[in-house]
Amino acid sequence: MTNTPQVNLGPQRQSRFKRRNKKLKAWFPYILVAPAVLYLMMITLYPGIYAVVQSFHYVKFGPWNFIGLENYNELFGDYQFWGALTNTFIMGAISLITQSVIALALAYFAYRDPWVKGWRIIFLVPMLFMPSAVAFIYKLFFLDARVISDLLMRIGLIDGNLAIQSSIWMSRTLLIIADVWQWTPFLFLIFVAGLQGQDEEVEEAARLDGATWPQIFWNISLPLMKPVIAVAMVIRAIDITTMFTSVFIITKGGPAFGTETISYFIYRTGFKFFNFGYASAASVVMLVITIVVAQLVVKRAFMSARD
Amino acid sequence: MASVRRKTGESLLIRYLILGTWALFCLMPVIWFLSIGLRSRVEIITPQPIYFPIFSLEAWWMIWEDWPMAKYLLNSVGAIFGSVVIDLILAIPAAYSLSRYNYRFREDIGFYILSTRMMAPAIVAIPIFFLFKNMGLLDSIWALMLIYAAINLSIVTWIIRSYMMDIPKELEDAARTDGASDMRILWEIITPAILPGIITAAVIAMIFAINEFLFTLLIASTPKGYTMSVALANFTGGSDGVIYNAIALVSFLAFVPVFIVVVLTQKHLSRGLTMGAVKG
Repeated sequence: MTNTPQVNLGPQRQSRFKRRNKKLKAWFPYILVAPAVLYLMMITLYPGIYAVVQSFHYVKFGPWNFIGLENYNELFGDYQFWGALTNTFIMGAISLITQSVIALALAYFAYRDPWVKGWRIIFLVPMLFMPSAVAFIYKLFFLDARVISDLLMRIGLIDGNLAIQSSIWMSRTLLIIADVWQWTPFLFLIFVAGLQGQDEEVEEAARLDGATWPQIFWNISLPLMKPVIAVAMVIRAIDITTMFTSVFIITKGGPAFGTETISYFIYRTGFKFFNFGYASAASVVMLVITIVVAQLVVKRAFMSARD
Repeated sequence: MASVRRKTGESLLIRYLILGTWALFCLMPVIWFLSIGLRSRVEIITPQPIYFPIFSLEAWWMIWEDWPMAKYLLNSVGAIFGSVVIDLILAIPAAYSLSRYNYRFREDIGFYILSTRMMAPAIVAIPIFFLFKNMGLLDSIWALMLIYAAINLSIVTWIIRSYMMDIPKELEDAARTDGASDMRILWEIITPAILPGIITAAVIAMIFAINEFLFTLLIASTPKGYTMSVALANFTGGSDGVIYNAIALVSFLAFVPVFIVVVLTQKHLSRGLTMGAVKG
């Protein structure tokens, strides 16, 4: 009785096993990638849905009260929100352009230099400090110890201490200088690698034809570098738009919300005023912008640079 | 001939002038900040800045005696180390899948992983804060470990993926004809072959984890969970204001090990920082 089914099942079981094995093979790559994807959903999909739901509610500390689109209504009429978006864009654009130009110039001079390794190590130094430490360096240098005012007075450029904290543009400049100081090395490093990775024979051939180094740079190296420059700038742009640490430590968004970035706006409404529903609405708007930019710009930059 | 030599001489002068100026701009604030760390508090904020201070180890004793510096250090090291381990465990199989198999949605899955890098921490800060609050993980290094791992997973996966694409397929095929399973090929052939890539990814993940500020600020709301990065922002002595010499010293304590590791691995750094898009 017990033997008969076993004998009957023999070949059946084998084929089922084979089939399962084949199925497993088809699913194998998905199984390998699944844990990472699931883990990332924890910080993207789950918070995304949470923020969308919360944005339709009025949430202070207690229960969530459904208020429909009220948060969004208020948000789009909130000059501080628009201000934060504009500030992020203005400071980000100036900072990104400045550091890209400087990094490219430095890379142009450094990559053919015999001491390029040494330059690279020196230029890397600012990048390896914690952003919070860099923020404190600049806070002390410009504001608390007034070193920059003192130095400018010594060479006779100004008469009294600079009132940096009461000037929007000076405060913005301070944040931009800190960002340029810390992150130009990032771009420099990548640009140098890009230039060094180019075919030397092309350069040599052009030089034998009588081309000067600036000509070679503009007409040969730079066009070849485009994908590298695009990727590096996209990565930097992403990080600049999330600027938070230096704002938190140096300016707290002031004066008159003139340096408040979108990240700081969300932090302030959420964790200072505990207006969580409202902060979530701002998060959702940011999320939508991020997804659109990612699809339009980032995808293209990365796909063209790859391999 | 002579004019050519003169020309190159001139451009060399410009080259070293420009590179030297930038080097000075890079290093001056650092040297000045070090001098802040090695002076006493009365010499920091003065009516006129003091450029040549009297050497003092006041801040050194302060950070160990007045502040639980050892605890912060331990939190940082523990959370960062744990997060890198989590990342590698998740990223190596994921990168293998993305670089070696052809299947539907592969490009989309790859791009989804990459795109999580673009998310501003502030966007997800509130939900993550409540998630950890409900799990009872606020103020613990476990929460920091999980969040650092999540932040860096996209970078680590893409870096490792880029290195895996460089491995010739013949290497695997040979092993496969010998009857090795896919898992064995991954762990015994691919992983050792891309060791530089794994180290690069770990170094980059470490740097970003040390730098992380917003999540740490929210998750670690009391000194119990502070890391070095956030502890800095809390070195204030009430009416005494910000304690800059302690901040400066702690900044250098965090800087030195990172600098050493980066100098040792700098050959791979540019490739790592672009998540494999640029081969250095």
